[in-house]
Amino acid sequence: MKAKLIGSAAIAAALIGLGSLQASAADLVLSLGTRGYGAAAERNLAAFKELHPDIDVEWNKVSDVPNETRKIYVTNLTARSPTPDVFAVDVIWAGEFAQRGWLDPLDGLLSAETIASYNPAFLEAAQVDGKTFAAPLYLDGTHLFYRTDLLEKYNLEVPKTWEDLISASKTIMEGEGNPQFYGFVSMWAKIEGLFMNWLSFTNGNGGGFYDADGNVAVNSEANIKATQTMVDMLYADEIAPQSILNMRPDDARTLFQQGRAAFLMVQGFVYAPLAAPDSPVAGKFDFTRNPYFEGHPDAHSTAMGGWFLGINPNSENKEAAAELIAFFTSYEQELQAAVQDNRAPTVPAVYDDPEMKKANVLAKFGKNYDVGVVRPSAGTGEMYPRVSEIMQLEVTNALHRQKSVEEALNDAQAQIEALLAN
Amino acid sequence: MKLASALDRRRHLTGYAFVTPTILVIVAILVYPVIQSVVLSFGQSSIDGSTGYTFVGLKHYASLMENERFWNALTVTLIFTVLTIPLELALGIGLALILNEHFKGKGLARLAVLFPWALPTALNTLMWRWMYNADFGLFNAVALQTGIADKPINWLGDPTLAMLSMVIVAVWKTSSFMALIILAGLQSIPKDLYEAGRMDGMTRWQEFREITLPLLKGPILVALVIRSMDALRTFELPYNLTDGGPVTATESLSLYAYKVIFDFIDFNFGAAVVVIQFLVIFALSLVYILALRPKD
Repeated sequence: MKAKLIGSAAIAAALIGLGSLQASAADLVLSLGTRGYGAAAERNLAAFKELHPDIDVEWNKVSDVPNETRKIYVTNLTARSPTPDVFAVDVIWAGEFAQRGWLDPLDGLLSAETIASYNPAFLEAAQVDGKTFAAPLYLDGTHLFYRTDLLEKYNLEVPKTWEDLISASKTIMEGEGNPQFYGFVSMWAKIEGLFMNWLSFTNGNGGGFYDADGNVAVNSEANIKATQTMVDMLYADEIAPQSILNMRPDDARTLFQQGRAAFLMVQGFVYAPLAAPDSPVAGKFDFTRNPYFEGHPDAHSTAMGGWFLGINPNSENKEAAAELIAFFTSYEQELQAAVQDNRAPTVPAVYDDPEMKKANVLAKFGKNYDVGVVRPSAGTGEMYPRVSEIMQLEVTNALHRQKSVEEALNDAQAQIEALLAN
Repeated sequence: MKLASALDRRRHLTGYAFVTPTILVIVAILVYPVIQSVVLSFGQSSIDGSTGYTFVGLKHYASLMENERFWNALTVTLIFTVLTIPLELALGIGLALILNEHFKGKGLARLAVLFPWALPTALNTLMWRWMYNADFGLFNAVALQTGIADKPINWLGDPTLAMLSMVIVAVWKTSSFMALIILAGLQSIPKDLYEAGRMDGMTRWQEFREITLPLLKGPILVALVIRSMDALRTFELPYNLTDGGPVTATESLSLYAYKVIFDFIDFNFGAAVVVIQFLVIFALSLVYILALRPKD
């Protein structure tokens, strides 16, 4: 009995020891997904290791679904865990996390020169009370990907408007005659990506989250019409599959890559897998700006996103963490990420580099960003997650025909007004 | 006399010394969080302690009562429980009866039955999610190729189908747990009872009704209480299978509480949800215990 007790005590002690060993194995823990910045991060980390052989970095490859990663951060940061030291911050979290004290101010840790090198408009999302809380890593946005071979086969133009896209989809679907081939796929599951979609559609119709005076105007005429088009794509035009309501970006991308969809509207990261040599659609696709509605050619319909790197206030290696951030967001590393992986730089000077001429795809992405629209995270601050949840839920209600579009948007408007009035 | 009482006291002290560590652990990991949740649910505070705790009384409970999403979550949870438990119980008893018989490969069969239960729920659920997938999933591939369906069925995208899909996964996974507990009960029933029954000319059905079932009351109660608590707390299943969707058709109380706490970072309101959930589970357990109490 006694021996057994001692034995289990020893095992427990060993386990505890193992746990603490594991926690302190690396000097720095970097938390970053692989989908958007994986290849660049791998290259950067290898180069960083050569430059700083004394700093051991562990890369925690977190989920690429932002809301899942967010939960990890909320847990760790609430519990004041010292890891991750450096973590990727979605542009929509930056203001909120800074307000909650979950990001360490970078002023003083990064040189003033480094901070001044970033795109000031984008950096604003991470600035509170004149302090900078995160460094921008790359810009991202949604684009319309299409099958060049199919457009050619049916003698169709690249669609500029939603009206064009719907009729082109019908022509192609009819011609292909395959019940498992769809016109349009995107990320319409109840995720942040759905809100991005909604912003693309509504802004494309001259609407949007705010009206011209900056008031929340979710249930405007223009928005109702645009949202109705989304619903009709499912049930009236039948160019989108029912399953679009469960799709996250990669589900939609997979379908398009298998050759089972004509149009795909998601973020630019899908370009690399779609263009890979073993991809069934390699060489058969291209992309353009997101469509707009007839009569709104100047509409800003590219829903924008992007990522920052920030430092955990409880990190035990803030200097090394800042070193890593400075390296990742340096001119040379951002240039390589641009040229090799089409990641849009956040250091404007990079765009003038002669090497950028090689980055054709990125140049085209960049043109779409000129008609970009951001989510209302700066204006709603700590309330943004709830605002986004309300929008996701009510738009989903409309897409599932649980409510009429007008009802759903009226409800969203009322809930958001009540929330922001508090 | 004096010596005896001193001895007694010492014996008591030793007893207390032995149970103290256990009680401390239970207080730390069970009692303290429960009390903390109740305290949180009656107040307003910030998670990092930057602003102090202020008592707000029943404010969170009052707004819960008006909250449509909370009532939906409660309804979803109850429907899920009511659908899964009887199915699991029926299947569990059936499986246990089969496994209690002597046949070749009994060991293997027992292992196979336990398999779904032994795998982590999250893993199981992700596997099922792939099989349910409307575009790449197994079920639709079979349905389309055999001509049962002429277009893909959106298993997890339709409110009713999504709930049924979730029930199927739960029943598949946990019937074996019911079976395990009931099997243990079956094996403790003395064989001579059946022999006596056979001498009196009982049929197999009579044996089951008059001997097996009454003597299984205890194990069944245990299995029911544990599984009902599990079902009322279900989290990994909807979280991984549907994320509560479509809309909120499969959003359980636990999932709703989780979203309030970790997405909206509102610990006080979330605590109120959790306390209500606690009361529901407590009430149901009482009902079971009273209903299945031995008659004598």
